[in-house]
Amino acid sequence: MNHNFLRTISWLFFLFSLIINPSYVFAKDAKADSAKIDFEKQIKPLFQAKCYSCHGREMQEGGFRLDLKSRALEGGDSGLAITPGNSQKSEFYHRIAGTGNGDKMPPEGEGTPLSPEELALVKRWIDQGAKWPESANSKDKLPGSDHWAFQPVKKVTLPQVQNSSWSKNGIDAFILRKLEQEKVQPSAEADRSTLIRRVYLDLTGLPPSIEEWERWTQDTDPNWYETLVDQLLASPHYGERWSRHWLDLARYADSDGFEKDSKRPHAWRWRTWVINALNEDMPFDQFSLEQLAGDLLPKPATSQLVATGFHRNTLINREGGTDPEEDRVKRTIDRTNTLGSVWLGITVECSQCHTHKYDPLTQREYYRLYAFFNSLTEPDIGAPLPEEQATFIKANQIYQKDHQPLVKAIREYEQNQLANALANWEKQNTEKKLIWSVLQPETVDAKQNTTLKILPDRSILAAGENPGRAEIYTITFKTDLQKISGIRLEALTDPSLPKNGPGRSPSGDFELTMLTVKTTSLQDPAATKEIKLQKAQASFEMAGYKVDRVINNSPHAGWSISPQQGKKQSATFEAKEAFGFEKGTLITVSLQQSSTRKLYHNLGRFRLSLTTGSKPLSLNGITDLIVETLNIPQDQRTSDQQQELLEYYRTIDPQLKILKQAELAHRKKAPRNPTETTKAQVVNHLKTPRKTRLLVRGDFLNPADEVKPNTPAILPSLKSKNPNRIDLARWLFDPNNPLTARVTVNRIWSRYFGRGIVSTINDFGTQGEPPSHPELLDWLATQFRDHNWSLKQLHKLIVMSATYRQSSHTRPELAERDPYNIWLSHQNRLRVESEIIRDQALSVSGLIKHKVGGRSVNPPQPEGVASLGYANSVKWPTSKGDDRYRRGLYTFFQRTVPYPMLMTFDSPDSNLSCTRRERSNTPLQALTIWNDPVFFECSQVLGKRIVEETQQKDASLTARINRAFQLCLARQPSQAERTIITQLYEEQIRFLKSDQTAVSELTKSQKIPAGSTPQEVAAWIIIGRVLLNLDEFVTRG
Amino acid sequence: MMNPYSDSLNLARRRFLMNSSCSVASFALAAMMEKEGLLASETNLTNPLAPKDSHFPGTAKNCIFIFLAGGPSQIDLYDPKPKLQELNGQPLPKELTDKVRFAFINKETATLSGSSRKFTRYGECGTEFSDVLPKIGSCADDIALIRSMHTEQFNHHPAQLMMNTGVGRFGRPSVGSWLNYGLGSQSNNLPGYVVLTAGRGASGGASLWSSGSLPSTYAGVLFRNKGEPVLNLNNPPGINSEIQKSGLEAIKQLNQEHLTKTGDAEIASRIASYELAFQMQSSAPELIDLSSETKETQEAYGVNRKGDSKKGKRGGGSGTEGAFGRNCLLARRLVERGVRFINLYHASWDHHSGLDAGISRNAGIVDQPVAALLKDLKQRGLLDSTLVVMAGEFGRTPLGENRTGSKAVTGRDHHPGAFSLWMAGGGVKGGQVIGKTTELGWSVEEDPVHINDFHATLLHLFGLNHLKLAQKFGGLDIRLTNVGGKVVDKLIA
Repeated sequence: MNHNFLRTISWLFFLFSLIINPSYVFAKDAKADSAKIDFEKQIKPLFQAKCYSCHGREMQEGGFRLDLKSRALEGGDSGLAITPGNSQKSEFYHRIAGTGNGDKMPPEGEGTPLSPEELALVKRWIDQGAKWPESANSKDKLPGSDHWAFQPVKKVTLPQVQNSSWSKNGIDAFILRKLEQEKVQPSAEADRSTLIRRVYLDLTGLPPSIEEWERWTQDTDPNWYETLVDQLLASPHYGERWSRHWLDLARYADSDGFEKDSKRPHAWRWRTWVINALNEDMPFDQFSLEQLAGDLLPKPATSQLVATGFHRNTLINREGGTDPEEDRVKRTIDRTNTLGSVWLGITVECSQCHTHKYDPLTQREYYRLYAFFNSLTEPDIGAPLPEEQATFIKANQIYQKDHQPLVKAIREYEQNQLANALANWEKQNTEKKLIWSVLQPETVDAKQNTTLKILPDRSILAAGENPGRAEIYTITFKTDLQKISGIRLEALTDPSLPKNGPGRSPSGDFELTMLTVKTTSLQDPAATKEIKLQKAQASFEMAGYKVDRVINNSPHAGWSISPQQGKKQSATFEAKEAFGFEKGTLITVSLQQSSTRKLYHNLGRFRLSLTTGSKPLSLNGITDLIVETLNIPQDQRTSDQQQELLEYYRTIDPQLKILKQAELAHRKKAPRNPTETTKAQVVNHLKTPRKTRLLVRGDFLNPADEVKPNTPAILPSLKSKNPNRIDLARWLFDPNNPLTARVTVNRIWSRYFGRGIVSTINDFGTQGEPPSHPELLDWLATQFRDHNWSLKQLHKLIVMSATYRQSSHTRPELAERDPYNIWLSHQNRLRVESEIIRDQALSVSGLIKHKVGGRSVNPPQPEGVASLGYANSVKWPTSKGDDRYRRGLYTFFQRTVPYPMLMTFDSPDSNLSCTRRERSNTPLQALTIWNDPVFFECSQVLGKRIVEETQQKDASLTARINRAFQLCLARQPSQAERTIITQLYEEQIRFLKSDQTAVSELTKSQKIPAGSTPQEVAAWIIIGRVLLNLDEFVTRG
Repeated sequence: MMNPYSDSLNLARRRFLMNSSCSVASFALAAMMEKEGLLASETNLTNPLAPKDSHFPGTAKNCIFIFLAGGPSQIDLYDPKPKLQELNGQPLPKELTDKVRFAFINKETATLSGSSRKFTRYGECGTEFSDVLPKIGSCADDIALIRSMHTEQFNHHPAQLMMNTGVGRFGRPSVGSWLNYGLGSQSNNLPGYVVLTAGRGASGGASLWSSGSLPSTYAGVLFRNKGEPVLNLNNPPGINSEIQKSGLEAIKQLNQEHLTKTGDAEIASRIASYELAFQMQSSAPELIDLSSETKETQEAYGVNRKGDSKKGKRGGGSGTEGAFGRNCLLARRLVERGVRFINLYHASWDHHSGLDAGISRNAGIVDQPVAALLKDLKQRGLLDSTLVVMAGEFGRTPLGENRTGSKAVTGRDHHPGAFSLWMAGGGVKGGQVIGKTTELGWSVEEDPVHINDFHATLLHLFGLNHLKLAQKFGGLDIRLTNVGGKVVDKLIA
């Protein structure tokens, strides 16, 4: 009511003013056409009064800001707003005038609308070119620009502390200063056993063996700890341990995610790269550069391409009805968000749909970051491991020695004798029996946007856009033939195709999913017939992509030819019943490429022929074109004709056949090239980058105006004018970049203390928590940078500190003053990650099998887990032999049905970049370590091991208890603990005496050590099981 | 994944257990947490799953959510369209399909496809149900049927995430996780969120019952309806109950030793987890042991039915009929034992082809046991506090699917624009139909209900304000209703 009333009033006012002084408005309008508008005096005050409250410094509704020239002219979340010189094409004008489809501004009830005079003024200002002198910009800085995280990293000097003898390095000065301010003493160093196990678990994720534990507890060298740290950092297990943290960030998995959740058999290759890079201590800037932009480096090494597999860890949706472009956009968004969370520590994802509510990141800026990733392609490449490559080269040299002469013989025959043989053949056989009639296309049509062109040799060449999925070519032909018995498809090479084709995929492959033939009588167009096809055969079929899938009515699975691209391939199909109308036939052939597995796998160049010949059909029979050629005197043939004839003759020359057979037979001895067996998922880039448009509300079907790659204005600017991913990666490590170093050291810090110096590890923005020790953060960031971004040195710095080495016993007296232990008056006990729990159980039992890097493995998992996946499509082929006992990080990660033990202990689901894992504490965890077959096997072997290793030297109960504690917890038991175990042992022996079945079940498949009894081993199996289930076992002390 | 909330939760857990003999300290802690914006009532100091107060008194206490994955055809189950019948075989006006995306339909040649089903009015309310759902139809007076559901997700997995987590992406907590997070669990010896499946798996797999950004304490726990009900529940061979018990006692004593030494209350929490695990070892087998149920009850639920898997293969193997019946009965038993949220899954309703046979088989699987469940709950006085929902991720097109390469049109494509689901019990006003679709069932005409609205209403029934049930995560307030959600008042009794 009220609103309407007001509206009516103002409307009346407006009419009234027109009535009173109509000439005023229009006359002024006309006169002012030439008068130049002064932005500062006439426009800016208007904006200030009517617009700034929602589109100014404090708030930018819809991502639109009117107090800064640059921002006003680039528009808001729904695109460009002001088109200088044309008010009619300016959304901004339509909004304030209420003439467009958008909401009228200012919105009803939120401000007075512009008066007609004011509107006219703005209109003229725009029409005159929207002149906006820089001096008229709002003098204020960007919002958030004074936020701590966006300030350059400060050079910090170490603070003065009183108890300087406590400090081991710079870290301690900062921690101690805070503690001294609070009048709190730091905790004493942890006892040696705890410290040894702590640093083993933190640096390698493995517990110390008894021998190692003994060595380090007995070492009298005052520098023993540093020696230990150096050894652990040099261990290959360091790379395994820390790669897992990186895998979390990279959302690594071994399958696609979504519905079918296809396996990714090559994903592991990138993981191996990460392990190696960390073990070699590749500087973090290089480590990042190669992963973000390895494909853009000059002449990238294979390993640098493998590094880009980082980007390939995104989910892919291959559901039948998915639009490939939509999914590509989603992957690009994920890559942009991952950059934000891993290197910048900002939650950029909110800005994909609208301007960031809290942080100074506009939606436009989001798409500028997105633009860096918008031209990626996703090939798989051969990427043998260096050792595989070396073995192959050696074997191949031996093989080639025998093989080359055979190849040479063919080549020489072709060069020197083939032409003569052809000439003889032409002379001898005057009658050439025609088999295939090559069809001359009448019309060609593509369902999507492929351009099809007919070439002189009657073949059809595809060009222009290459649709991702569901492309169908439809070609019509006329023929007089009758009793047609079959059809042949030749997939031909062409220099315009990738790798010469014959397909259009980046590797030159295609996947033809269906071929149908329809006939219509030329005389009677109503007479049509669908031709049933049978008995498909092909010159080559890729394993699993057989040619019969083209005619077996499976619309989404077809014929492919990899790795035999780059040469002509043919396929023939028999007609079930001969066809061809009496007075000529119009033939419509449809070629479908609707694979749900492979994108962009369309045919590049092809030709169709018919035969009336007898069955079975011949793949290479003579064509009418060749017959035609043969009828032309040799000197009058075109070179194409001669070439095609020669190509045909090559398939029938008897001598060549013999030579080729010999070569082929020997080829079976060829060593397998690891480039075919060991592949990597990598990224490459389009030669011409894709244009990036801002997507309104993040909707890929709703693109607005173009944006160029750039970094957010709140951060230091890029140096390059036309930046690519390399520039982006270098910018991250520019000394002026305030985020990368801080975010990285903070995240690594959090792995050691359970909490970051900034507790919101992935949010350094204005909504995140401020650092608890800002100077320490900057000092660490500077150290990291000044030591050439060496991760190992950063790790060493942290674990060498007195802060890290403190006891983890709680400080009850501080429970209220510092409940989260932010001051670090002691270490924190941390439950170890799921993988490490597995690794420990396998280690202490001795079952673990170490092999650094390599393919993922499928350790046993409970039955019925895999079948929860989509329509039983997920298979879990349980590994055999050593692969059952590999470290947890090598366990195959199937996104829709992940390994249950991992998930029970809070492994990330690998769908989004994960900067911090949860540490939950649930009954399912208890059930897992109690009863999961893998853990029970560990208990069994552990029990036997305890007995076995004490049997000779000292088989007393005490010796065995000590041994058990040393093995499982790397320490001596206390007297109270000995009592508890002794009691347990005696109880078990009592139970087992009366339960022989239990004894034999418990000790099943365990060899009883000489001198011991099954009963004794069974009791120790039970005790082993108890020890594996202790809180201490799953916790880093 | 930074989660300050769970940090303070862990801390609360530690601190309480440390000071359980000293309540002053825990009061001080509660006061401190209150200061930090964590209402003491929202966090329980002993156990994250202990019961918590709702925002306002709610009518529902438990929820059984029956999810039919694949996109059940509303046109053949819930939403009769005589006009569609009449125009069977005609093309749809172009302006309707112009801006619409399909998974498989070719727009140029697609035609309308009437349903082969007959619809009948049921109950006093007279709500129409299809002839494949006669038994669910007989419960019409308890059912609120929403015919005006819509979603923006168009492919299975994203749409299933949308229906189960409120957002069509990975990483969000599911409905059951939110309810347990908001209200805790009333069960001391079973998890608060139990999942049961029958037949083949849904596209979304375990991501549909994930706790997303919430701690895994709130994730759904998959129960199996036969054999070992929970993964690793049974002791390994040779570990009998005496051995297990004395082992547990030793674990407790040793953990207690270490607790005394280090003072870390997380150890106390682990002791508690082991106790609950031990209790589950007896309560879960008791749960799935149906021998205490009468023969009549077992027959009513059809727990021993055998199906013909040749009819409608998508529905699952021949054991699916019995398995789904058993799951429905288990759902009632779980409600009786205080489990907050029970998810029953059945796939697949993705009838791109073979719709008539497929939907008859699938409806045959669910109709009898679901009706039995409603009646059984009612008879035991549990229906008033138990919300039952039956839903899929989207609906199916009134157009027949003329997918390239398929010979005949025997199915329907995905249709996010208009579909149906129903709710009963837990304070829902039964015997009514909400919303209306257009003549051909193409889009919603009256009372559109978005999935976020449906979720807002569901939470409301539990006394939870969907705007307040939130988690701070990555600088945002994460909600089940994402950035939307409006309670549908008509649904509430």
